[in-house]
Amino acid sequence: MSSTEQGTSSAAPAEPTTAPESAAAPEVPESFYYVHGKDKVVHKVSAGALQHSALIHGMISNLGYTEEQAKANPFPFENIDGDILQMVVDWCNQHKGKPTPPEDTNLPKQKEKLFDLVLAVNYLEIKELLTYCCKQVAMMVKGKSPEEIREIWMIPTDAEDEAAEKEAKKRAGKEAAGETAAAAGDAK
Amino acid sequence: MPIRIFSLPGKDLQYALNCMNICDLIAFSLCSKRTKNLVKSSNRKIHLPTIYVYENRVQFFIRERALQREDYEIERRIFQFNFHDKGAESACRNGIGVWKKEFTQNDWIAHFMSTFNHSMIHTLGIMNNTSISYLDTIKQFFPKFHKLLISGTCSREFIKIVFWKLYTIAEEVEFDRNIFDDENDKSKFLTQNFKSVTFGPLKLTLDDLLTLNIADLTINFANISEKELNRFLKLWMKGNHIFYRPKAIRLCTEDEIDISCEEVLKGIKYEDVQYNNGEDFPTFRLRRGDGKEMKVFIADNEFVFRVGQ
Repeated sequence: MSSTEQGTSSAAPAEPTTAPESAAAPEVPESFYYVHGKDKVVHKVSAGALQHSALIHGMISNLGYTEEQAKANPFPFENIDGDILQMVVDWCNQHKGKPTPPEDTNLPKQKEKLFDLVLAVNYLEIKELLTYCCKQVAMMVKGKSPEEIREIWMIPTDAEDEAAEKEAKKRAGKEAAGETAAAAGDAK
Repeated sequence: MPIRIFSLPGKDLQYALNCMNICDLIAFSLCSKRTKNLVKSSNRKIHLPTIYVYENRVQFFIRERALQREDYEIERRIFQFNFHDKGAESACRNGIGVWKKEFTQNDWIAHFMSTFNHSMIHTLGIMNNTSISYLDTIKQFFPKFHKLLISGTCSREFIKIVFWKLYTIAEEVEFDRNIFDDENDKSKFLTQNFKSVTFGPLKLTLDDLLTLNIADLTINFANISEKELNRFLKLWMKGNHIFYRPKAIRLCTEDEIDISCEEVLKGIKYEDVQYNNGEDFPTFRLRRGDGKEMKVFIADNEFVFRVGQ
């Protein structure tokens, strides 16, 4: 596994800035965790930023890692492309400790990556970002005709849907027949 | 770059649909049976679907409401579509786009009603004179609706034809013209047991009010004297245990003719009541010997009478 840390790169979040706190409150050092995607590039993210992800937040709470343990065991998200994970990490850092406004202009706008981003965000359970991404998906077809929508969202025609359904039924039938034959073979 | 929308997780797809405006949602519903079913199952609520019928087109208005954070409802947007014999136009886009050329008016209406899970429209407006056969077609399209509105631009004869053809399938009828040929014609109409009728302008007499059989009547503008209203109230007070069908009568006189409370309520025992919602309109409660109550509201050029609760 590559151990390139991107936590301090310009694209990735900088080290956590100290938030203004009341003079009486003791300073608690912020803890950091590490995540990587399909490209194995490790991203250093603060626990505060990771709170946006219900999935990672749950993992952190259950594991109770120390800083060293966290560094040695980055959370692997093999199903998420590296650049998509980078976008997610950036967004989490930008919105650390503050609620997302209904129309967030600071969020990633790369339409070509939107679909992968929705899947990643859905997996990581980042509700606010998912909301925004779905809005972006809806915006893709704003003011478009049914034909244009079909093209943008790759919607099959009724005939294609029917053909796919027939095909699926045929495949399911074959698989069932195969399983029955295998079971009969085992019995012998 | 296109994306395969059906590969999105169901909840995300649903949320994306919720973010779309009605116009885009309708365009999406026209892509395939599957997209139509998706829109249908999204249960998007539309408010007061209204149809205006013109000679060669049907205009469909859809209102959509949104619940604000402060928890009071406001009207969000009104979307307008024109259905022709072939194709439809949407006025909610920049410019006019014609979709689905193969759809007939009937197909469009059926698609809209079924997509938004509405079994009936709220208002059917007949906006100008059309052929009788087209009226029959319209009746087939909309076997039931809440309110029938007949525009004053239609001829008197045509309003009558529309009224007698369609009033039975509407809860409420409104037309803004006097359509009566003579006194006899007017009496014949007022003594019918319609549910709710709004029309005008009309000269009314005490006899008209006494023989009235319409449950809820509004007249814009009514020509009636304060003296006759006063006699009507007095007769209603005296008429213990006599059945009187009208539950509400709302009469508006011409703007510059104010109705005097003193004249209308002269010699009548009443109780002064105010609206609960804090509005400072003069409302009076009249009680009959048999316990029946009537509320009378008089303000400027408006007289409203409501029986019982």
